[in-house]
Amino acid sequence: MRPSDTGARRRFSRWIPAIAAPIAIGVGVVLVPLQAQAAVDLPDLTPAELLELAASSEVDALSGTIEQSSELGLPDLSGLSGPMGGGPGDDDGDGASATDLDDLISLATGTHTARVYLDDEHARLQVLDPLAERDVYVSETDAWVYDSRAAAATHLVFPDEAELEALRDVARGEAAEVRDRLEAELGAPLPTPDEVLERALAALDESTEVSVGSDARVAGREVYELRLEPRDDDTLVGAIAVAIDGEHGVPLAASVTARGADEPAFRVAFTDVSFEAPDASVFAFTPPDGTEVTEHVVPVPTPAELEQWRAEAEAAPPTDGERMPRPIVHGEGWSAVVELPVGTAPAFGAESGDSSAGGEASAMLDSLTESVDGGRVLQTSLLTVLFTDDGRVLAGAVTADRLLDAAASGR
Amino acid sequence: MSSSALLGSELLTLFRRRRTWAMLGALALIPVLIGIALRLAGPAPAGRGPAFLSQVTENGLFVGVTAMVVATPLFLPLTIGVVAGDSIAGEASHGTLRYLLIAPAGRIRLLVVKYLAAAAFCAAATLTVVVAGTLVGWVLFPIGPATLLSGATVSVGEALVRFLAIAAYVTVSLLGMSAIGLFLSTLTTVPVGAMAATAILAVVSQILDALPQLEPLSPWLFTHYWLGFGDFLREPPVWDSFGDNALLQAGYLAVFGSLAVGRFLTKDVLS
Repeated sequence: MRPSDTGARRRFSRWIPAIAAPIAIGVGVVLVPLQAQAAVDLPDLTPAELLELAASSEVDALSGTIEQSSELGLPDLSGLSGPMGGGPGDDDGDGASATDLDDLISLATGTHTARVYLDDEHARLQVLDPLAERDVYVSETDAWVYDSRAAAATHLVFPDEAELEALRDVARGEAAEVRDRLEAELGAPLPTPDEVLERALAALDESTEVSVGSDARVAGREVYELRLEPRDDDTLVGAIAVAIDGEHGVPLAASVTARGADEPAFRVAFTDVSFEAPDASVFAFTPPDGTEVTEHVVPVPTPAELEQWRAEAEAAPPTDGERMPRPIVHGEGWSAVVELPVGTAPAFGAESGDSSAGGEASAMLDSLTESVDGGRVLQTSLLTVLFTDDGRVLAGAVTADRLLDAAASGR
Repeated sequence: MSSSALLGSELLTLFRRRRTWAMLGALALIPVLIGIALRLAGPAPAGRGPAFLSQVTENGLFVGVTAMVVATPLFLPLTIGVVAGDSIAGEASHGTLRYLLIAPAGRIRLLVVKYLAAAAFCAAATLTVVVAGTLVGWVLFPIGPATLLSGATVSVGEALVRFLAIAAYVTVSLLGMSAIGLFLSTLTTVPVGAMAATAILAVVSQILDALPQLEPLSPWLFTHYWLGFGDFLREPPVWDSFGDNALLQAGYLAVFGSLAVGRFLTKDVLS
């Protein structure tokens, strides 16, 4: 008995590493995040104090990685974007619109990673797509938008500092004028920013419960959590949470959770962040050879033009025929419903299938939406859109039934 | 025989085999085919085909990267599967395993040596793709400063350094798979079985990674970061995926390495 017993024991001992390795990995996987979350205790703040901390934030340089994830409950779209994925190379208009649609879809589903760089004069957003990249470089005088997959760059030139300064003078003059008039009417000095904040919070409190949640850690930094919970039962939005850095007052994460859900439907958060100024070389951009460059100059009206516009607007109030019909808002607060009247929204349905892009888009909408009495509904966990058969579009963070009510009653 | 001598003789055996050179030749053929096809057919439209393909005709340096994008999902795992799957089972099927195990406490050492040889083959395979691609591009197309994904342009020298870094990234990516192949190889005396199983696992893992319903699982799949080497073509280079990938592969190495040790130490070697 003895020899075979020790033999079995020795056999077993040789499997010990094979048992220990997964256990060690499992413990590590559980413990490392736990340790990161452990014992964050920042001094308690009221919502007003927390907002003041955020407003007083004076960070003008940082670099970090942002992760954005959406789980909007949309149907799986990979099959749809696949056949349209070849779009970027097509130089006609269809290709461009298909690409935009792809971009929208890719934003609404799945996870994205981007890096941000900021210093006091420049900003850069670097969206890390698999084997591709989209970049936005912003400086004081111009901005570049670069897409590696399409090998295309857009150059936006901002107006001269002098022109902007002239506009700013006009704005300052008007602000002072308004202030004087208000103070004269009220017979007292205008409220300080603190008082304005208090009043705004009080007004917000009617529709929304504002609270400071439990302290946590985002990107290794201790953060406060500002929670906004709608008091309105009709809305699909359950809570909005913003994580604010306890030291610098910079928002480091934000999430929107649907009512009744545990996981956020939309979340954007830093996974690492540093408040040191990044190297100046990361902001440098010259379009590489072989890039298609589109130039845009951002127009700025001169003060004289502004005067003229205002005079024209006052002289001839717009008649209904000339103006675009405005969107109608039903209800208020969280459960407000926005209605685009007939003609303002792009037509949708069988009759719009005249061009191939329109056909594709409407096929896509068909498969995204479901048919209801009186139209088609696009339902996500946070937002509902109703396309009525008579061509109106209604949208809101409410249930489909509420939209149908609004469409039927016009209220 | 000392460990280094054993490793040396193992490497000699591996790189003297005609099969090894045939596989490296097949890998070198990928950039050659891409280069010739583009040379004959003219530039590819932007946004079609594998990433970087449209850049090749302007700058031959990108042949190597394009070939790497093509080779990573299937061809590289196939060849690694052959080498790693053959490591123990091949010796067993030839009846040479027991002679290798005559030295006392030789089993773990033999496993380590076999694994290192497979890792050396990973490095050789990825280098073959990059080097052959660069040579082909240099012969067939103009060569010049390379445009990175961020739109920045770097010199030829820096581009070559980045391509070598990509080869290193892919080599690291394949280490976890090599450990799986080594473990499967200790299970059987039929080398083809271990080879096929290893290559199939790589494909299955990539399919699982592509299913949106299994998204929570995907960061744990050993193929998850395989195409993350594009991060070395950004300006500034992003190291996050390299770090995550190295950690993941180390985890696979620990689990399947220790499984291979457990299996091989308790196995009755009869051939």
